[in-house]
Amino acid sequence: MKIKRIYKSTMFLKSIFVVSIFAIFFISAVTYKHINILNNSSKWVNHSYDVNLELERLFSYLKDSETGQRGFLITKDSSFLKPYIESKEKIIKSFALVKVYTKSNPDQEQNIRKLEFYLSKKQNYLSASMQLAHTKPVTDHALKEKLVIGKITMDSIRIQINEMILLEKNLLKNREISYTDTIKVTPVFVYITLLITLVLISISYVRISKDLDKLKMSNNSLAVMNESNNLAEIVGNFGSWQLNVDSKEYTFSDNSYRLLGFQPQSFFASQENFLNHIHTEDRSSFSTANEQMLLDGYLAPFTYRIIREDKKVRYFRTTARIVTNKSGDEILIGTTSDVTDEVLVSLSLEQQNLELEASNKELSAFNYVASHDLQEPLRKIQTFVSRLSDKEYNNLSQSGKEFMGRINNSVERMRILIDDLLQYSRTTKIEKVFEESDLNELLENAKSDTQQTIDEKKAIIQSEKLPQMMVIPFQIQQLFANLIGNSLKYSKDSVAPQIKITCSKVIAEEEDQVPKNTKEKFYKITFIDNGIGFEQEYAEKIFILFNRLHNKNEYAGTGIGLAICKKIVENHKGFIFAAAKPDVGATFTIYLPE
Amino acid sequence: MKIYVKFDFNSVCRKVLEEKLIKYNVKYRVLGFGEIDILEKIDSAVLKSFTEELKEYGIDIIENQKTVLVQKIKDTIVEMIHNSDLVNVKSSVYLAEKLSHSYGYLSNLFSDVTYTSIENYIIMQKIEFAKQLIVSTDLSLTEIAFQLNYSSVAHLSTQFKNATGITPSGFQRIITKRREIANKK
Amino acid sequence: MDKDYIHIILADDDEDDRMLFTDAFGELRINTKVNTFNDGVELMDYLNTPDAILPNVLFLDLNMPKKNGIECLYEIKQNSRFNDIAIAIFSTSSSEEHIEETFVQGANIYIKKPSDFTTLKKVLSDVVTINWQYHTSGLNRDNFLLRL
Repeated sequence: MKIKRIYKSTMFLKSIFVVSIFAIFFISAVTYKHINILNNSSKWVNHSYDVNLELERLFSYLKDSETGQRGFLITKDSSFLKPYIESKEKIIKSFALVKVYTKSNPDQEQNIRKLEFYLSKKQNYLSASMQLAHTKPVTDHALKEKLVIGKITMDSIRIQINEMILLEKNLLKNREISYTDTIKVTPVFVYITLLITLVLISISYVRISKDLDKLKMSNNSLAVMNESNNLAEIVGNFGSWQLNVDSKEYTFSDNSYRLLGFQPQSFFASQENFLNHIHTEDRSSFSTANEQMLLDGYLAPFTYRIIREDKKVRYFRTTARIVTNKSGDEILIGTTSDVTDEVLVSLSLEQQNLELEASNKELSAFNYVASHDLQEPLRKIQTFVSRLSDKEYNNLSQSGKEFMGRINNSVERMRILIDDLLQYSRTTKIEKVFEESDLNELLENAKSDTQQTIDEKKAIIQSEKLPQMMVIPFQIQQLFANLIGNSLKYSKDSVAPQIKITCSKVIAEEEDQVPKNTKEKFYKITFIDNGIGFEQEYAEKIFILFNRLHNKNEYAGTGIGLAICKKIVENHKGFIFAAAKPDVGATFTIYLPE
Repeated sequence: MKIYVKFDFNSVCRKVLEEKLIKYNVKYRVLGFGEIDILEKIDSAVLKSFTEELKEYGIDIIENQKTVLVQKIKDTIVEMIHNSDLVNVKSSVYLAEKLSHSYGYLSNLFSDVTYTSIENYIIMQKIEFAKQLIVSTDLSLTEIAFQLNYSSVAHLSTQFKNATGITPSGFQRIITKRREIANKK
Repeated sequence: MDKDYIHIILADDDEDDRMLFTDAFGELRINTKVNTFNDGVELMDYLNTPDAILPNVLFLDLNMPKKNGIECLYEIKQNSRFNDIAIAIFSTSSSEEHIEETFVQGANIYIKKPSDFTTLKKVLSDVVTINWQYHTSGLNRDNFLLRL
């Protein structure tokens, strides 16, 4: 496991590189040492050779001088003295050389001294015998003696020289042995190191090539993503851009150019160039937003106008934020969409809305004024009819009295209708003031409004405790009054009306009738009466304006009351539903959001 | 700076009366509420200017015996309503006792003079007192109903609405809103 | 109540209503003196005259040209000279909020103009009677609120 981790880590290649360097240094060090040793080795061989050669030369020179001496001894010719003299010098030189060569070795130095002794002895005897040879014959005893000692010395010299040569040879041999030992190891080192390095390099190679493959794959998918991004931009009608915060370089995507009506990358990507295309009126606000964006590292969606290449005005919306890439650079990335359609649609919707509102307001005002102003003349008619009735009733004929009666009835109906219409128009007024109100109080007020009828019909009204809520108090009071009024009006002849009012808190989801995607909690208030009820199939129709289930002779009514109730409930973002059974009673359920 | 005052009508009247009496140097003795014994004869001119000055304060000198009694009935009724001990007492019994006349007589007299019945007057005063309590105290309607011997808030509301055309809570709202406007000024 | 007459003033731009009003008072047993004005400006001009006889009860129609009932109400309430006048708003029909607003602005009475004569008489009679009772019983005029 650990090995795999090491293999995968990014330090791996770096460490291999370092190890390889070390290996190279190591190998070169070892090789250098090897070469050095070889160098030294040959040097010593040369040295030994030089020494030995010189020693031989020395002996040769000695021999020459001896030969010269012998020649002279035999011939007494002075021409044989020349080599003797020459060799004398050569011997000295040669010996000096040998001395120099063997300086380093204490054993040899000892030998040199010995040799020096013998040499000088020999020289002495040589010269002594030469001296004698001048005057005495060969058979001279003294001369012979000298010659014999000379010969013995020569032999000693010979032995000494051979010893020295042998010593040199041994020295050389020893050195050779020690060197060979050292040298033997070198190849092993080199081969092992080489092997290890080769292994490491292979591993690196594998790793590198795998990484390369990965990179290739990433690059491929990146290229594909880039392409799909570009396509997405074209389809989605937006462009993207980047700003390297440090280097201040902008990059605009191809589609950014197209959005402006230009060919991709047709001008240098910079803020000034982009600014040139912005609508003159929006330039300053855009610049301000831009500056703020550079400070905050974030731009909330900002809408502005640009003028396209074809001189058309378009609406753009830009949003941006900062991201930091793996190298630690801060890049501001942004998206700019062409939202012209959206803006235009929304503008036109706004316009339509305003028109609708104005129209509604007009209609509402008309409704109100009409209802209100119609009341005046109506009241007059009623008043004067009543005065007429009071003053002139006895002067009227039977049909006259009847006509008066009918006039009164019609006028009364009209009055109620106008009253109801006025009430209806009041519930649709735009300004609605919500106040925290006690619904129990509003219910009490509603009851006292209808108190007369309650007393007449001996009605019993029971209610549970109602909550306090934010409502339009007069409207809720109206709502309650209308519902109670209805229950009283549509009561059974023989039975005293009973109205039960309940209240509970419910959750929208648990109630079938309430549409699902609405506010959660509601107060459910129900008005249950024991009146004549109605067919359940009409449960929705009764809330329609002017819709009635009975004709005007059976029950007086305008068909507006429940429409008003529905409007009021809608003003409070609530719901109202009706359920009933003929001859059993009716239940009105109101849902008011909390 | 604002200060809120409550009038003790009776003390104010008494004070004015006394001041005037002293001013005119009239020797007097207070016999009861609304009754003063003048201990010496007063010149009719003095009496006239005295009467007029009192009138400026809304204080009338009642000359008529009937009107005196009616005034006494009114005062007794007011006393009954404001006195928590008397709340449970039957008004007809109390009045008859206190004023030493039969209730029937008092009732007729009252209607003749005031054009309204004692019962109506009692209701009016009760409602007035309720209004006062609503305006000047923090009592809830339930507490006020109790204090005025109504069987329930609903009963008080009904009578209140019958008398004034407004519910007690509506009245409360209006008074509160009036105060808010006055405060803003 | 018979001692003096009760002084009534009505400001209403409608001729019929002025007539009905005056007739109604005429048929009542109460001793009244009724004056009518055609609009708010005429009314205020009269009231602001230094020695004008101030009414016991003032009936104001709301919708009048030049100066409407609410404006008159506001002006009257500003002037302490008119503190003893009981002000009745006499109007065709108003929303509950509007009615409450007239009381809040200082009106004592709100009357919805009735649509038959008998009711009109009763209403006017009640107003005058109750106002007189307030007056004679020394009740607090600030709390005098009546809605008919």
